[in-house]
Amino acid sequence: MSRKYRQWVKEYQDQAWTVARYILKDDQEAEDATQEAFVKLWHNQDSIDPKRVKPWLMKVTRNGCLDRLRRRRHNVEFDEAYMAGDVSGPMQGAAASEIGVWLRRAISGLKEPYRSLVVLRDINQHSYEEVAGMLELNLAQVKTYLHRARKQLREQLAEVRP
Amino acid sequence: MNEYDEKWEERINALLDGELSADDAERLKAEASDDRELARAIVEAYQLQKAMDEVKVERAPASLSKRLNAIPREHSKARTFSFLQPRWAMALAAIPLVVITLSLMQPDTPSASEIAKARQEMAIAFAYLDKANAITSREIESSVGHTLADAVTGSVNRAIKSQNLNSKEKEA
Repeated sequence: MSRKYRQWVKEYQDQAWTVARYILKDDQEAEDATQEAFVKLWHNQDSIDPKRVKPWLMKVTRNGCLDRLRRRRHNVEFDEAYMAGDVSGPMQGAAASEIGVWLRRAISGLKEPYRSLVVLRDINQHSYEEVAGMLELNLAQVKTYLHRARKQLREQLAEVRP
Repeated sequence: MNEYDEKWEERINALLDGELSADDAERLKAEASDDRELARAIVEAYQLQKAMDEVKVERAPASLSKRLNAIPREHSKARTFSFLQPRWAMALAAIPLVVITLSLMQPDTPSASEIAKARQEMAIAFAYLDKANAITSREIESSVGHTLADAVTGSVNRAIKSQNLNSKEKEA
């Protein structure tokens, strides 16, 4: 049982962490939210279809993050340090280039569910069907919202590009 | 975003996702050659996709990995000592309450010392009644005669004997 769990940690911790970090924009809180999701996974492992663990975990992680956002007394949509492009730590390698830094900030600035859609589909590379299941949307909604999210990013990108 | 935009977006995204058939892709490109806005949207979409390639899944920090790997150990312990969890604690706390309630609902069963004491008190009471009966009998005799006194004291004696018998049966 523990071996199976450890395998899930190995396979999904980065994706869950990415989702949490983009939504919460706070490393410590993102760690807490990811840990909470994995605790739930540990307790519910017998009742989850092994094939559905990844979407289940992403959904629980995202929902936990959104709950945390709601609980925040002062819900600051943009973390100033984050917006300023603080790329120290684990993100450093992933977003080394200027455009990467800019895009990461732009994604963080999207409203929900656009932000989660972009992270889950374009960064974590989940299928449309998986994303639909995670966000409890139908396939058409996923595609439409994702188109809108990408359009927003595209327009912002066009503004910053020379 | 109007309906026209939505339709464009759907086709552009399908093109980028590789979901557009070859014929539809060609048709879209042909349309773009006549429509500068559409052409610009397609170029920007490609640029975004390319930029998105630079935003990878982030590597979880070592501190998080450590926390996640500790979950089985920490939460298995919690399972082992699950009787300490609130619901079990409440159930355990309820047991003495149930026992007390049931014991209070049971009919009293006197102890041996209580029975002995009761017997002693009863013997004193009967002795007192015998004495009172004798005095009464003498007083009636002196005032109304022997026959009536026998009738009165006889009924009292029968009542005392009957009580005495019932008590012994209960004790048995």
